Amino acid sequence: MLTPIVIDGLSDAALLFLVAVGLTMVFGVLRVVNIAHGSFFALGAYAAITLGLWAGALGLSQALSYGALVLSALLVAALFGPLTERLCLRATYGRGEIAQMLVTFGIFLILDDVQKLVFGVQERQNDAPLSLLGVCNLGGIVYPVYQIALVGLAVVVAFSLRWFLRGTRAGKLVLSVVHDAEMARFSGIDTAKVSVAAFTFGVFLAALGGSLASPITGAAPGMSAEATILAFAVAAIGGLGRVEGAGLAALIVGLGRAFAVYYAPAFDRATPYLVMFAVLLFRPQGLLGVVETRRL
Amino acid sequence: MQHYSRKTASLAGVLFGLVFGLLPQAAWGAGERPAQLKVGVFTFVSGPAASYGMPAKNAADLMFESLNAGGGLAGVRLEPVFVDEAQGTDAVVSEFRRLVTSRHVPVMIAALSSANCLALAPVAEQLKTPMIAWNCDTHHLFLKKKYRYVFRANTSTVPEFVAYAAYLLQKKADVSRVGIIDPDYAFGHDAAVIFSETLRRFRPDSKLVVELYPRLGSPSYSTEISRLLAAHPAVIFTNFWGADLENFVRQALPRKLFSQSLAVIALGTTVFEEFGQRFPQGAVVGVLGDGWYHSPAVRANPQAQRFIKNYQERFHQVPVFPAFKMANAVLVVEAAYRRALRENKGQWPDSERLARALEGLRVKTLTGPLTLRADHDGLTDQIVGVSRNVAGSPYPVMADMVRYPGELVTPPVDADPIQWIKTLPADYLERLPKPGSYGP
Repeated sequence: MLTPIVIDGLSDAALLFLVAVGLTMVFGVLRVVNIAHGSFFALGAYAAITLGLWAGALGLSQALSYGALVLSALLVAALFGPLTERLCLRATYGRGEIAQMLVTFGIFLILDDVQKLVFGVQERQNDAPLSLLGVCNLGGIVYPVYQIALVGLAVVVAFSLRWFLRGTRAGKLVLSVVHDAEMARFSGIDTAKVSVAAFTFGVFLAALGGSLASPITGAAPGMSAEATILAFAVAAIGGLGRVEGAGLAALIVGLGRAFAVYYAPAFDRATPYLVMFAVLLFRPQGLLGVVETRRL
Repeated sequence: MQHYSRKTASLAGVLFGLVFGLLPQAAWGAGERPAQLKVGVFTFVSGPAASYGMPAKNAADLMFESLNAGGGLAGVRLEPVFVDEAQGTDAVVSEFRRLVTSRHVPVMIAALSSANCLALAPVAEQLKTPMIAWNCDTHHLFLKKKYRYVFRANTSTVPEFVAYAAYLLQKKADVSRVGIIDPDYAFGHDAAVIFSETLRRFRPDSKLVVELYPRLGSPSYSTEISRLLAAHPAVIFTNFWGADLENFVRQALPRKLFSQSLAVIALGTTVFEEFGQRFPQGAVVGVLGDGWYHSPAVRANPQAQRFIKNYQERFHQVPVFPAFKMANAVLVVEAAYRRALRENKGQWPDSERLARALEGLRVKTLTGPLTLRADHDGLTDQIVGVSRNVAGSPYPVMADMVRYPGELVTPPVDADPIQWIKTLPADYLERLPKPGSYGP
């Protein structure tokens, strides 16, 4: 029984990580509590499904639906990232978290209605990426290969992000802005450009999470709110702004949920919040979060 | 400036409350024929439940149009006022109140969700507004409760899920190991108890090996599907519906869940068109009543045939059973008004007379006979069958059908349903019609 629990836990963790990583990165870089994060996740899902179905309707190869998953995330990021940062978020910098939360909540509400307007109120789905890869048998249980591949993909995203932030010049510029925006500005770094690029990248990660999850979950009204809540829970457990923390938190919650479904199904829904409660009780900054001194 | 004492202000408040509290009854209580009859119609038109609720909205549109084309009700045009149940129970209750008090809607077809029906019933009583439940099927609605203004135009969870268990038992399916995956609210939990108790009544060795209740609207059932696969049940029962059902079947199909176990997909017919011939073959399916568009009763009913034709032409879909439930509820409203007009010598009925006309009403619906019992619950037959692909049809049909007469699968008025199941006579299954006995 342990093998399927671990596999199910890992695959759930992969989805949770993809939901949360964009949120935690945007907070880490911009110190923005982005309530609209789930909206970008949902837009990524809708865009991937729409593009995949178009490709299918045009008689193009179904393998193109994998390209559609990434392309849709890029499109959502290019369209909404700079626009949101320049028009809405920039005015809130330095005005406290309340202003940011109100603005991003407003964006969340607007985008929720935009989704209904553009994509309708019915559930949408395109499972071509799921069915194309077929199934495999692990521990006597049949799994879609796509679901297993998603675990690998989440690991790739985690390490790529770490490499980008720590190993590239662009990443180091971002980290210098995170560490001390004022000092970075004095050192000649265009912090405004870094902010828009970092936010757009955060939107890309959110949309990528939605698009990669869409072959399994489909897309329906209401998914934005669910993604936002789960992303906050995972990010808070790991420590807001800590990418590795989001990975660790996703792993704990994913495995916890799998154990709950097998041994105590009644606790399945409560697992992320029970874990959050237990962690924040002893480490209010999250598992890998650091206590920051406030500058006056 | 004149100052009012607290006492005067309180008196004014009470008077205000009295005047506005009585206004809705006064608005249609005088027996005058209104210029139009507004009918509140509650269903899900957005969110994951819309895939189930929209067919009902479409059916309501067609039925009201058809009634109006035939001259309305004694010359009075009908106007549906739709309320989206996706806004949550609190908002739905507020909408009900607003429709009665501000828009003077005298009769409601409400609701799809059982939670909403349970919340709306006391409000309907308080506002003295007849409410016809059209889809919600929780048996708790009328259990140990007496309502004056609340009626149900369909059946409860008890006959619906006794029927599925009886079908399996009559077919002598292996029910030794049963797995259940239902939505985590009254509909799911009630169905699980009714289904498993019925199996146990006739097969005491039947064992529940896994019982899962994911929350309504879960986007992924991956872990639950693994759990079901790992438990190796002989039968898997689910009463998921709407987007939940679509997601579950879509995610379980490639994982061979339906090849490993015999599936009872209670609301499976609602997604036949969605999945086409990919829908699991041989799964036990039904319509929670008698609303199967291809049943002999429907095929023999010219009004039902017109409805199906108009529905397909307008919406390019087959009307699934929620559409029939809504259409039948509109017919109940029509029949109640016609009866009330007849019994009041053509005087337009107030809410009291309308409620009286609904008592014991018998209606020939699009899908078969419907009786409103003494407890106001509906009594209809139950159709169950198995999914089967046939040549020339892009999606499965129901084969090996049986039509259980409502009175044989429904507990008597005031009976405790679980006790009734536990004391069903030993020859009960032999007294029921056999699978395959209904249909071509």
